[in-house]
Amino acid sequence: MMNQGRTIDNQVRHTAGPVALLAGCAAVLGWMGIPDLAMAQDAAAQAPTAYRDIPYVGSRNLVWIIAQLHLLLAGFVLGVPIFAWLCEVVGWKSGDKRYDKLAKEFTKLLTSSYATTALFGGILLFLLIGFYPKLMAYLTDIFFPSFLVYCGLFLVETATLYLYWYGWDAMSEGNGKKFHIFLGFLLNVFAFFIMIVPNSWATFQASPVVIAEGTDFERAWAATWNPTWWPVNIHRIIANVVLGGYICGAYAGIRYLSAKSAEERYHYDWMGYVGNFIGVFGLLPLPFAGYWLMREIYQYNQQMGITLMGGFLSWLFILQAMLIGVLFLGSNYYFWMGITHRIPGSEGQYRKPIMAMLIILLLCLAVWMTPHSLVASLEEAQKMGGTHHPLLGVFGVMSAKMTVSNLMVLVTFMSFIMYWRAGKEDTAGWAKVAKSVMGAVLVLAGIAVIVLGVWGYFVPAIIRINYFSTSQVGIVIFVMLTITPLTALLLKSAKTTTEMVWGKMPPRAGYSLVLNAVMVILLMTLMGYARSSSRVHWHVYGVMRDSSQYAFSPALGYAAALMALNTFLFCMLVAFIFWVATMGDKAKAAASAKGSAEPGRIPAMAGGSPALDAPATEASEGQRPV
Amino acid sequence: MSEVVKLQLIGLCVVGLGIVILLFIKGQFLRVIGFVAIVLGLFSLVALAVPQMASLPPAEESINIADIKTPTDMASIGQKIFFSKGQCALCHSIGPSESARCPDLKGIGAKLSREFIFESLTEPQAYLYLDYRHEGIPKEYPARMPYINRNPIGLSKNEILSVIAFLQQMSGEPISVSPSELDIPRATPAPVKAADAGTVAVAQAR
Repeated sequence: MMNQGRTIDNQVRHTAGPVALLAGCAAVLGWMGIPDLAMAQDAAAQAPTAYRDIPYVGSRNLVWIIAQLHLLLAGFVLGVPIFAWLCEVVGWKSGDKRYDKLAKEFTKLLTSSYATTALFGGILLFLLIGFYPKLMAYLTDIFFPSFLVYCGLFLVETATLYLYWYGWDAMSEGNGKKFHIFLGFLLNVFAFFIMIVPNSWATFQASPVVIAEGTDFERAWAATWNPTWWPVNIHRIIANVVLGGYICGAYAGIRYLSAKSAEERYHYDWMGYVGNFIGVFGLLPLPFAGYWLMREIYQYNQQMGITLMGGFLSWLFILQAMLIGVLFLGSNYYFWMGITHRIPGSEGQYRKPIMAMLIILLLCLAVWMTPHSLVASLEEAQKMGGTHHPLLGVFGVMSAKMTVSNLMVLVTFMSFIMYWRAGKEDTAGWAKVAKSVMGAVLVLAGIAVIVLGVWGYFVPAIIRINYFSTSQVGIVIFVMLTITPLTALLLKSAKTTTEMVWGKMPPRAGYSLVLNAVMVILLMTLMGYARSSSRVHWHVYGVMRDSSQYAFSPALGYAAALMALNTFLFCMLVAFIFWVATMGDKAKAAASAKGSAEPGRIPAMAGGSPALDAPATEASEGQRPV
Repeated sequence: MSEVVKLQLIGLCVVGLGIVILLFIKGQFLRVIGFVAIVLGLFSLVALAVPQMASLPPAEESINIADIKTPTDMASIGQKIFFSKGQCALCHSIGPSESARCPDLKGIGAKLSREFIFESLTEPQAYLYLDYRHEGIPKEYPARMPYINRNPIGLSKNEILSVIAFLQQMSGEPISVSPSELDIPRATPAPVKAADAGTVAVAQAR
């Protein structure tokens, strides 16, 4: 099975110099792409090829890079339509053209990024067929009907995307707009199905079910409906929203940093805010979806769960905690900067709560990042009485980590509420009661989460996992579902005391938006590696063993280097897509530069004032508009 | 120089390059690239600072039926098949399990005759009732018992007999199948082929 790989290797090694390398590459392509006649003659006598390889790079590394880029691009092209559609709906409902413009700006990216995603998908497919023919034959045998469904979905998705994008201006008013919004909805429905169909292939590899006799469709359906399919579907759809939001934020951040005029600063500051808002909106429920997925993995196969959380991948979750912690800090930091720079006079008012939230976040992060067992010498271990530190070991267990992750979500939610309420004064008669209720709910929720966390040390794991952890999650969701509508009702009648000034954020705000996007991308690459490595040496867990030379899972450092490379490549690809898609706009903008600033009609989704939310022009920058 | 050291050097270079860009380059886009390089370099360096453990696969074992001399040998082979090619452990547990989706097989070799077990594996719908959920909340992913002797699992008669031997041994019963029942071309012993893995793999607990 390795013969072909070795032959290619020999061909390249036996030649020297760049010309020879080119010849070698040509030979590689030849081997991969064109059936060899001589081999075809012997085919009947030989066993079917199970694996192929390429020299220097290695088949697995190449598949890793291409698959990762494809998945990140796919996350982007599935996240952006959700983001764009939400913005379009907000624009339509509020009458604020900025949202419509923003939605259109991002939909324009879809056509080029959609093609790029499909291109990488095609490359990935060819590589998989070439490198893993036996595995692909096995999966094709099971999933062929869903391949056809997938192709059909692509056709309708493409047609809908063309209609959605090219019909934007033609369907901008009245019933046309309603139909356009319906098209956007359809686009997202098809995109969702495009996501969940290949999810079934990947999740089947991790959590296969026994496939009984039946028709092709019955067998494909049985394999599709495997234990981790829906948890992954839900986790990915939320993660895609987060990715779309934060990438929008990063784009706005970069444009904000290089903005030349007040109008540009105004626009990209606002865009960065919307991107961060949608990113945080998705980020808050994401840990719960991740918890559900992990729970299902344990439920499906305890050994796989242990490999992830307590085996050779356990340190990966310390890295995950670090990335999520930085992401939470970055998102909160951006909110806090928004309060202090966009709402003049609020700096002193919110200094203490911000400091308190920062301390809570840092403490939570410290607990989350505490490893369960420490790398210690024999002497050190003897002094400690084991690899668990007598004090820190207490924080290394899941009970502590679940508690702090819930507290971090609560703090971030409160940051958002604080930003929302900044510069407003309640006028409703029941405001005092409502605020007392909200305060009580928050304090009681915080106490309940901590009590359950501490109690979790004294009960069997199954009780903690099934009841305590789920209760903690339920409590946090309850807080969100209670405080959000109450705040919205209060603010409906609230009086604006301080105007929102866009375009006044310091440059570090732009960098924090970029940092958040990089964290999300790194997290996706990291958890992709975790999901894939949890199968250990199986292509299909417990069913088809990986007997190639790459059956091992590489150590975290090597994997992280590849993740960093993939993240960088993806960032460059997205930057290229943005650059290509906005090339024409720059020329148009230059032609009609004067008087192009768009006045805001209503504030962003939170904060600000309809009357006062005007762009800061050169003349009025920093002043309160009348 | 070890791989880790090489990667650490690369990480340091990337961070250094990012710092140089931020210090000396004015172009905003390049500065952002420098910033991203610093973040990614630091991430790699942190990942390289934690314990580096690769997960190596267990050695593959091939089974030569010619080596089977006693019923215990058969049970040993059957155990390997149970946890690998036979895919039995995907659904069944041996002993109570929260995660098992199908009946617990502990003691099954004592409860059922070898003929009944053979029929259950090769003609699962012949007698076995589908509602195997005797008590408690119904399981979410009930799997109909597949025909073990057909694709995709496709155990041979020899392999099924070995699994029966394992089930009997695991239940503390005397093993009633004997190596003499195996269809073996003794002259040219061939290794048992796994479903799709080349050789039978041992699902060794990790």
